[in-house]
Amino acid sequence: MDDVERRLASHLPRLRRFAHGLARNTADADDLAQASAERILKARDTWQPGTNFEAWAYRVMRNLWIDMTRSRKRTDGPLAPEELGHGVGVAGEAESNVELGYLMRAMDRLPDEQREACALVLIEGLAYREAADVLEVPIGTLTSRLVRGRQALMAMLEE
Amino acid sequence: MAETIDEARIIAWIDGELDPEEAAEVAARVAGDPALTALAERHRQMRLRFAAAFGPIAERPAELRPPAPVISLAAVRAEREEKRKAAAPPKRWAWPGAIAASLLLGLLVGQQALGPRAVSDRPNALALDGTIAAALDGQLSGDAGPVRVALSFRDKQGDYCRSFAGRSLSGVACRDKDGWTLRYGGQGAAATGDYRMAGADEALATAVGGMIAGEPLDRAGEAAARRKNWR
Repeated sequence: MDDVERRLASHLPRLRRFAHGLARNTADADDLAQASAERILKARDTWQPGTNFEAWAYRVMRNLWIDMTRSRKRTDGPLAPEELGHGVGVAGEAESNVELGYLMRAMDRLPDEQREACALVLIEGLAYREAADVLEVPIGTLTSRLVRGRQALMAMLEE
Repeated sequence: MAETIDEARIIAWIDGELDPEEAAEVAARVAGDPALTALAERHRQMRLRFAAAFGPIAERPAELRPPAPVISLAAVRAEREEKRKAAAPPKRWAWPGAIAASLLLGLLVGQQALGPRAVSDRPNALALDGTIAAALDGQLSGDAGPVRVALSFRDKQGDYCRSFAGRSLSGVACRDKDGWTLRYGGQGAAATGDYRMAGADEALATAVGGMIAGEPLDRAGEAAARRKNWR
């Protein structure tokens, strides 16, 4: 294994979690994680050793996700309570996966810019500076998207 | 909007983004205002809720869902065809990106083939016994038998590993103090369909490529290792 493969292998679990923050369901998230891992390996030469691999990997995934969903229509409206538990995973899965599916649906209702900000900070636990670097936006832009996203999530989840 | 600025600072406080002085100031303001206390608590709860739901994903790498085998193997095939057209000279144990991608793929498909629900989390859960272990102990690579052993090598920990193909299981096993443990698994000869032919051997070779340290053992090296019970 070369350096990129080793780094990818150790970062893959977190990348996969980030994919769950971006995608609308777990199946899409795993597809995104798989496709991102492949793209990272193919694009390995564009990563410069000495720079932050994790940030680069997150960025590759985020850009791929944008490509994959650009033409996709998003459902609007409030998060219907009856959606909870429906179409999430398979029967018999742990209750935590129902909760996960529910939160993913809530994330899915956010505008892309707010969702990626929330996924990096709220789910991945990145510092604002790191998240702004991944998204290549000023830190003020990151924080305003993050705050609006958090407010919207709170409104959806507490209704 | 003043309210939004306050909420942004409260969120930044909860996220640990404020320096100690600012944090103390926000903490004091929040403590002195029941409405802000409630707001801060709701944000804190939401952060905890996301952490609880998403956190375990990063602790379960093995559950990455493999893509449909037919599609991914078609991709492997297409990539190999591309390489052939480019007439790249074959490199031994030096894996280009496309192959490395299928390493991940192979490992995932391997996990699927074993059935994730059937394998427990015990340290020796993937221990091999019976026919396969006997073949791994006794046969040199290429010898005839119900289980065919194809290749022996040392992994990066210095353990002996051997690739094998049995009737319902093929893969790579390594010998540790407790016996032979499966490190990579795929379907065996009895379970193969057409789609496997194109990709499974390549995925197995790729798995070996990710584990091997140095060169495979030659026949004399295998015989010597066998005399030492592969330890």
